[in-house]
Amino acid sequence: MPETPNPPSPGPAAQAAAAKGPTLFGDIDRLLRGHYTSEAALRTGGIAVPLRTLAIGSLILGAFYGASMGLFSGLNAGAGNGSWLQVFASAVKVPILFLLTLVVTFPSLYVVSALARSRLQTGDTMRVLLGAVTVNLALLASLGPVAAFFTLSTDSYPFMKLLHVLFFTVSGFAGLGFLRRALRTILEPTRVPPGAVFQSFTPSPPLSITQGAAPPPEPATQENDQVRRVFQLWIVIFGLVGAQMGWILRPFIGAPSREFGWFRERGSNILLDVINTFGDLF
Amino acid sequence: MLGHATEILRAEGRHQPGAPTTAWAALLVAALATPAIHGAVMGTWSGRPLQVFYSLTKVPLLLGAATLVCLPNFFVVNTLLGLREDFHAALRGVLASQATLGISLAALSPLIGLIYVSGCSYPLATLTNGAAFLTATLAGQWTLARHYRPLVERDPRHRVGLVGWLVLYQFVSIQLAWSLRPFIGSPDFATTYFREDSWTNAYVDAVQAMLMAL
Repeated sequence: MPETPNPPSPGPAAQAAAAKGPTLFGDIDRLLRGHYTSEAALRTGGIAVPLRTLAIGSLILGAFYGASMGLFSGLNAGAGNGSWLQVFASAVKVPILFLLTLVVTFPSLYVVSALARSRLQTGDTMRVLLGAVTVNLALLASLGPVAAFFTLSTDSYPFMKLLHVLFFTVSGFAGLGFLRRALRTILEPTRVPPGAVFQSFTPSPPLSITQGAAPPPEPATQENDQVRRVFQLWIVIFGLVGAQMGWILRPFIGAPSREFGWFRERGSNILLDVINTFGDLF
Repeated sequence: MLGHATEILRAEGRHQPGAPTTAWAALLVAALATPAIHGAVMGTWSGRPLQVFYSLTKVPLLLGAATLVCLPNFFVVNTLLGLREDFHAALRGVLASQATLGISLAALSPLIGLIYVSGCSYPLATLTNGAAFLTATLAGQWTLARHYRPLVERDPRHRVGLVGWLVLYQFVSIQLAWSLRPFIGSPDFATTYFREDSWTNAYVDAVQAMLMAL
């Protein structure tokens, strides 16, 4: 039996790829491995991965998972209650869903980032967000074969709907975890060097009303904690906006009882629909 | 091949965790060829040669396809956990556990044959084959644990990767097994590769059956 030697760490293939220079999937691979978002990399004040790479990578990964979502309707096309057009529509809509969520939430992140006196510039902040979206979509795309397998092996529309909700939730948490880790480092306020000519405004420490109490925390630390709390809230908003955006852009799977359409009528919300789908399942 | 099988089961020699080389071909052959033996024996209960042939192809298909469908996610999850440098070792552990499952199934097939020859009903045949799969799965887990032990000691995040793999693999393989029925060949049905209701959902059907029973 032919045996292959186990690669040392890092592998020769990785070294050869690195020598060839950046490639689309090479960059995404490095992002997933955390090379661009290590503490050392973020503390240099920027992220080296190009925005274009992240955007194209997100489009490809999202389109792959979207196609696996629309496959359910495509397979029902023969029975007259589905359409192969749904495969194309979902392949287009999944990347759009993430990119639109980004467009809607980016301004608020920009404001919070600026308030925190983050070292990252606007472009870098966008890279971090797009990086989180790419991580989210990479995990989602890796579940594409599983989704496609269930699409091929089941005819239960409610089951498929809940399965996709589950996959989106799991990958969403992975993306948000990535964002949280990256932002923790980014939100470290810039230390103003002593003797600097233009010093930025630092809020005064709160007044202590109790004499002899423990000294108040350092202003920078206090500010940092506040910003972290704001960011935690912002991450929740990011998730909610994403969920609602998905609801607005539906259908992604294509209900067998309905004609193909690019969009559905507005009304209700995703949470109510998920609860109703549990009822329809059995 | 027997030498490889022994070393896979013992996780020693060429198939020990951390071995300098990996005999991928031996692992793949063991993971895909040995379950076919059990599949063939499974199908003999029906007394129909076509069912024997179908089951012979379906058991390796079940194990191989479930692994293949889950591998992309396993790769991405390991990468996200920062465990890419160990992916080679993790994949070797997964394949070794699949090979152990296959070899164990093959080893249990004479017992299944003996039970068939002794005269057994269709429910008993289903039950004994279920028990054989359960036993072989536990054996596979034993090998997987042996391969993962040094990895978890080195980095506890491997535990997350392992749990993720097990959950997804079980989730997919239960539905795939449902879709690939029949394996034994019920006397009430003609010999076909798939049942008419193959494209239903195992989980939905199971919950519906439970609700009807209550």
